[in-house]
This record gives sequence, structure tokens and C-alpha cells, in this order.
Amino acid sequence: MNGITSGFGTWNPIAWTLLFIGILIVAFFVRSFGRKDYKRNTGQTKAFLSGNEEPDAPAGLHVSGDNLYWGMVHGLSAYYKRVRKWHSGDLSDYVAWFIGGLALIFVIIVWVG
Amino acid sequence: MALPKSFKRALWVFHVATGSCNGCDIEIVAALTPRYDVERFGIMLTGTPRHADVLLVTGTVTKPMLPRLKRIYDQTPDPKAVVVVGGCGSSSGVFYESYNVAGPIDEVIPVDIYVPGCPPRPEAIIDGVVKAVTKLETLERSGVKSR
Repeated sequence: MNGITSGFGTWNPIAWTLLFIGILIVAFFVRSFGRKDYKRNTGQTKAFLSGNEEPDAPAGLHVSGDNLYWGMVHGLSAYYKRVRKWHSGDLSDYVAWFIGGLALIFVIIVWVG
Repeated sequence: MALPKSFKRALWVFHVATGSCNGCDIEIVAALTPRYDVERFGIMLTGTPRHADVLLVTGTVTKPMLPRLKRIYDQTPDPKAVVVVGGCGSSSGVFYESYNVAGPIDEVIPVDIYVPGCPPRPEAIIDGVVKAVTKLETLERSGVKSR
């Protein structure tokens, strides 16, 4: 099995695939020891919240992926308020911004030399 | 000395206090201390009914705890055994017909073993749990998965 070896390590897709298959086999082996007599769609498969009923999650309770960088957005909220107004969702606008940016860079390069 | 057949399996117990004065709960904790040390037999408290074989219920059932006790019972996998610890859980005790009491535990969920006392000694609680093991083994031998 030939792989790619560099100063950062070795990459061999076949070896990694075999490793993942091995891990899956071990995981399914361990899982096979689990109890199989749970009754589906009853309380036995519901989350235990100290005996309390599981509440329906309101929209504000849902933790979405963008919560990961909430701090950054909050810290730069003054910047984001302006930038979000330009975020129209129209591809033509974005291409215009791209071309405008390129033109600006071109002008700076020519101007500075 | 060989262990009795009742101790061949590790028994996980979930403790529910439905309105007790904590007297029975302290005696349950005493059963875990080095003097009694039930964990040497594999009997241990678990943090969720989803993993439990036995429900150890203390106290008479207060009205706020009524739906919670039912829910916890439903969340315990079959086969399961319910052990009531103390006089309040068995008969409502001094809280009999109190305005905020839904009743003794067997009026809410099926009970297998009663351990009376106010509070019962740890030896009595351990005896109740061992009887629960026997009950579970009987249920498993008969192939009963639910009641």
C-alpha cells in the first residue's frame, strides 16, 4: 500500500478505510451487548429529565450552528448591522462587488506602482 | 463462600423520592456506606431509570410528583421491580388523606415489594432489594417482558 508521506505524516486512503471499517466492526460488536427489549415509541425511549415532561423546543431554545460564533458576531455587531444590509442574496450584486473589489485592487496596484 | 443465586447479576437501582421527609433516603444512603456496602454485590444506584432494574420509591406521593412518578415508571425498561421503602410510601403514613397527597405509591404504579418502617433499617432495605432480584429472576425465567 503506497501512500503519501510528508513531514506532516502519512496519508493512505486504503489504510484509513480499513481502520474505519475495523472501528465500525468493534462499535457494532459493543452495541450488540446492549439491551434489545426496549419498547419503541413508549416512555422507555424518551429522554429522562428528572421525571419532567420533555418540553417542545421553542425557536429561541434551538441551538443552531451559528451559536458557535455568536460572540464574534455580537462583538462586531456594529459592523454586521451595515454589512447585512448589503447581503441581498442576489448573485448579480455579489458579482458587482467582486468586480468592484478587483477594480479597486487594480487601481491601488497601478497607483502605488 | 459462594454467593447466593440471587446475587449472580449486577442490579441497578433508581431511587425516587416522591415526597419523603428524607428519613428513608438517608437509610438508603446508609446501605451504600462501608458498614453495609451493597455495591460489593453489584447493587448500585443509577442516575436514570432508563438504566435501572429496580425502582426504589420513598415517601407518599404528593400531587406535584404524581405525573413524574408515572413518567419515571414508564421510562424504566422491562422487566422491572418496584420497591417501596417506608411507611409513607406503603400507606401514606402520617400524611394519610392529607390535602396535598395523591395517595400511597401502589395507587399510582404497581408495587412488588413493601419495606415498612419509619424509617426502615438498611438491613430491611437490602432485604427488600434482594426480594426484588428474586422477583426479576422469576419474571425473566417466565419470559415476561412486561406487566
